[in-house]
Amino acid sequence: MGALMVIFSLQPKQRRKTTDSVEDELELSAVRHRPEGLEQLEAQTRFSRKELQILYRGFKNECPSGVVNEETFKDIYAQFFPQGDASTYAHFLFNAFDTDHNGSVSFEDFVMGLSILLRGTVQEKLIWAFNLYDINKDGYITKEEMLDIMKAIYDMMGKCTYPVLKEETPRQHVEVFFQKMDKNKDGVVTIDEFIDCCQNDENIMRSMHLFENVL
Amino acid sequence: MAAGVAAWLPFARAAAIGWMPVASTPMPIPPQDKRKAQDGLIILNVSGTKFQTWRTTLERYPDTLLGSTERDFFFHEETSEYFFDRDPDIFRHILNFYRTGKLHYPRQECISAYDEELAFFGIIPEIIGDCCYEEYKDRRRENAERLQDDEEMDMNNDVTPVNLTFREYLWRAFENPHTSTLALVFYYVTGFFIAISVMANVVETVPCGTLPNRSKEMSCGDRYALAFFCLDTACVMIFTVEYLLRLIAAPSRCKFMKSVMSVIDVVAIMPYYIGLVMTDNDQVSGAFVTLRVFRVFRIFKFSRHSAGLRILGYTLKSCASELGFLLFSLTMAIIIFATVMFYAEKGSTATKFTSIPAAFWYTIVTMTTLGYGDMVPKTIVGKVFGSICSLSGVLVIALPVPVIVSNFSRIYHQSQRAEKRRAQRKTRLARIRAAKIRGTNAYMRYKQNGLLIDALEEEAGQALVGKAASPPFESQHHHLLHCLEKTTNHEFVDEQTFQANCMEISVVNKSGSRTSSLSSSPHGLSSCCSRRHRKKSSFSLPSTNNQELSTIQIRERPVSNSRSSLNAKLDETMPLKCDEAYISPSMVRLSAPVATSSDDASTATTTYSQSNIVRVSAL
Repeated sequence: MGALMVIFSLQPKQRRKTTDSVEDELELSAVRHRPEGLEQLEAQTRFSRKELQILYRGFKNECPSGVVNEETFKDIYAQFFPQGDASTYAHFLFNAFDTDHNGSVSFEDFVMGLSILLRGTVQEKLIWAFNLYDINKDGYITKEEMLDIMKAIYDMMGKCTYPVLKEETPRQHVEVFFQKMDKNKDGVVTIDEFIDCCQNDENIMRSMHLFENVL
Repeated sequence: MAAGVAAWLPFARAAAIGWMPVASTPMPIPPQDKRKAQDGLIILNVSGTKFQTWRTTLERYPDTLLGSTERDFFFHEETSEYFFDRDPDIFRHILNFYRTGKLHYPRQECISAYDEELAFFGIIPEIIGDCCYEEYKDRRRENAERLQDDEEMDMNNDVTPVNLTFREYLWRAFENPHTSTLALVFYYVTGFFIAISVMANVVETVPCGTLPNRSKEMSCGDRYALAFFCLDTACVMIFTVEYLLRLIAAPSRCKFMKSVMSVIDVVAIMPYYIGLVMTDNDQVSGAFVTLRVFRVFRIFKFSRHSAGLRILGYTLKSCASELGFLLFSLTMAIIIFATVMFYAEKGSTATKFTSIPAAFWYTIVTMTTLGYGDMVPKTIVGKVFGSICSLSGVLVIALPVPVIVSNFSRIYHQSQRAEKRRAQRKTRLARIRAAKIRGTNAYMRYKQNGLLIDALEEEAGQALVGKAASPPFESQHHHLLHCLEKTTNHEFVDEQTFQANCMEISVVNKSGSRTSSLSSSPHGLSSCCSRRHRKKSSFSLPSTNNQELSTIQIRERPVSNSRSSLNAKLDETMPLKCDEAYISPSMVRLSAPVATSSDDASTATTTYSQSNIVRVSAL
C-alpha cells in the first residue's frame, strides 16, 4: 500500500517533465535575427563604425538571439533602478523604441532610437520625448497619458524616498506640467505646443545636451 | 549588479531624456570621463597560455584583481602583456565569469585548488551560478569533513599532554579506551560483566529440574536464587560505579545526563534498586516482575563497545520519518482490511472476528504472509476479502521491499536536496538583496562624498579634490539615479532612514501641536505615514518637512548619514533661492496656506519652507 502511494506521488513529476520539454522545444526554435550590414547602419545613424561595434557587442551579449522582447527589456532596465519598480516605464520605453510595433526591438530599432537620443538635434529629441508621452500615438498628450507616465517615473523611485512619496504627487506634477505646456487650455498638449514650450525653457534646453558624450 | 548590463548603461542614460521635459528641478552635471574608455584588447598570459579579452570586459567587476589597478602589478613590460603564474585550466573559468557574468565550477577540478584560484583573483565563491553551486557546496562539505576527520585522528593519536587534570584524564580514558592500559582493562571488565549479566538474565528462566518437595518444574532462577542474586548485585555494583565515575568525569554534566548512553545506563540499573527498596508484597510483585524486563536493556550498553550498533542507531534515527510513513501506510491498510473482514464475517456464527481490533491481528498475520491459522474467515465474502488481503500483503511487503528501500533512499535524498535548495534559495535571495543594498548604499555613499566635495569646493573656492576614483560605470550610474531624483524632486534614502522618518513623523503626529486644520486629502495612502497625511493637505508639504527636520535636529539620532545629507541638502538649496529666476504662478497659491501654518513656526523654519517652496515649484 505504501508503495502504491509512493508510485502515485511520483507520477505528477513525470507529467511536469513532459510539459517542460515541450516548452524547451519552443524556445529552441526561437527567432534569430541578424542586423543589416555595418555600412548601412553607419549611413542610417549618426554613429561611427567603432561606436556601432561597441553597441552591438553589448547588445548581442545580453540578447544572443538578436532581438529584445519586452520581458528582457524590463529586466535589463530594472537592474539600473534596484529600489523601485521600473517595469511600467520600461513598458512605455519599449513601445517608444519599437517603432514598427512588432513586439520586439531589433538592433536596428535600438540603434535608431539611440542615434536620435544621443546624436540628434534638439528638435528630434523633443519629438522623441513627445512620442514617448503620447501613449496611443494619436498626436495629443492627454492628462491621463501624462499621469500614467508620471506614475511610472515615480514608481522607479520606490518606497524609500525623502520626502515620503504621497499618492497625489504624480497628479500634482501633471497639473504643473499641463499648466506650463497647455497654452490654449484645451486639456491636451499638441506637438507644436510641446516643442514651443520646451524651446522657451532654459532648463529643458540645457538638459537635452546632457548625455551627448555618453558613448 | 550584473555587469552584463553595463553595456546597456548608455541606453539607460539616453532614455533619461524622456524625463527632461517633466523634470521639477535642473539636472546635475554628468561626470567627466577623465580618460576616454579605451576599448583595447588586453593580453593575459597565464603560465604560457595566452588569453585575450577587451579591457572593458575586465572592468565590469572592479572589486576583483583583474578589474582593478591591482593587475598593474602583474604587467610585463618586455612583452606588454599581463603575466600570471597560475593554473591556466582554472583561469579559463575565471575569465568566463567576466565574459558571461556567471561563474561555473568544473567537476573534475580539485576543490581546494579552485578555492585558491578564486581567492587569488579576488572572486567570492558565492557568485557561482545555480547550475554549479550545489556541486560546489557538496564538494566543499566533503572536503571540510575529511579535514575534520584528519584532525580528530591526529588528536586521538597524540601523546598524552601531561598537564591534564584528573577529571579530564578520567574522561579521556572513558572515551578512548586504548589510550592507557587502565582504561583498556576497565573497558574489557565492563564488557565482560555486561555479557555475564545478560546471560544470567537468560539462564534464569531455563527450567532446571524439580526439587524433591515440589511437583512443579522450577526455573534456575528460583532454584539458585541466592547465586543469581549475588551475581546481579555484583554486576549492578560495577555498573553503578562506572556510571558515577562517568558522571564525575563528564565535562558537562547536564549534557552527559541527557545523552542516550547515560539514559540506557540508568534504565539498566534502576530495576535492581527499585527491587531492593520494595517489600516482598504480593500486590507489587507483579510490577516488580515487569521491571525485571528492563534489565534486558543492559544489552544496549554494548553499543559503547561496538561502533556498528551506533551506526545502526544513527541510521534508524535519520530514516525515522520514512519509516514512520511506511508504518502509517501499513496501519491504514490494516485498518481498512480489518474493518472489511469484520463486517464480512459479522454474519457467520461463532466467529473469531469479534471486533475490529480483534480483526487487526488477522490482517497483520495475513499481510505479512505468516498465516498462523488461529483466525480464519468462514463466509464466502470473508474469504474473498481475505484473499485480497493476503495478495495485497504480498504486494506490500514481499515484492517491493528492495524497491521501497531504494525509493526511500531516493526520496530521502530528494527531500534533502529540496530542503537544501529551499535553504539555498533563501540565501540566494538574501545575496541578491544584499547586492541591491550594496548598490543603493554605494549610491548613498557617492552622494555623501559628492556633497562633501561640493562643500569643500565652496569653502576653498576651487576643486581641491577630484571626484573619488570610482570607475566610470559607477559614476555614470550614480549620475543617472541623481537625474531621476531631480526629475521627481524626491531623494533616495536607505531603508533604516525611511523607517526612522516614518516613526518620527508618527510620533510627532501623536504629540502634534502643529497639526494645521487644512483641508484633508481624501485619498487612502499606501505609505506608512498615511495617518499623518490625512490630516494635512498636500500643499503643506514644505512645513511638514520642517517638522521632520526640526525633530531630527532636536533628538539625538544615531543615524548620522541622513542627518549630514539632510543638512547638506538644505545648504545646497539655500543658494538656489537666490538663483531661481522663474517663479511660476503656482507658487503664489502655495504661499498662502504656508503662511497660515507657519504662524507657530519659528523664523528658521520659515526660511526653510521658502527654500522648500522653491524646490518644489522650480518650473
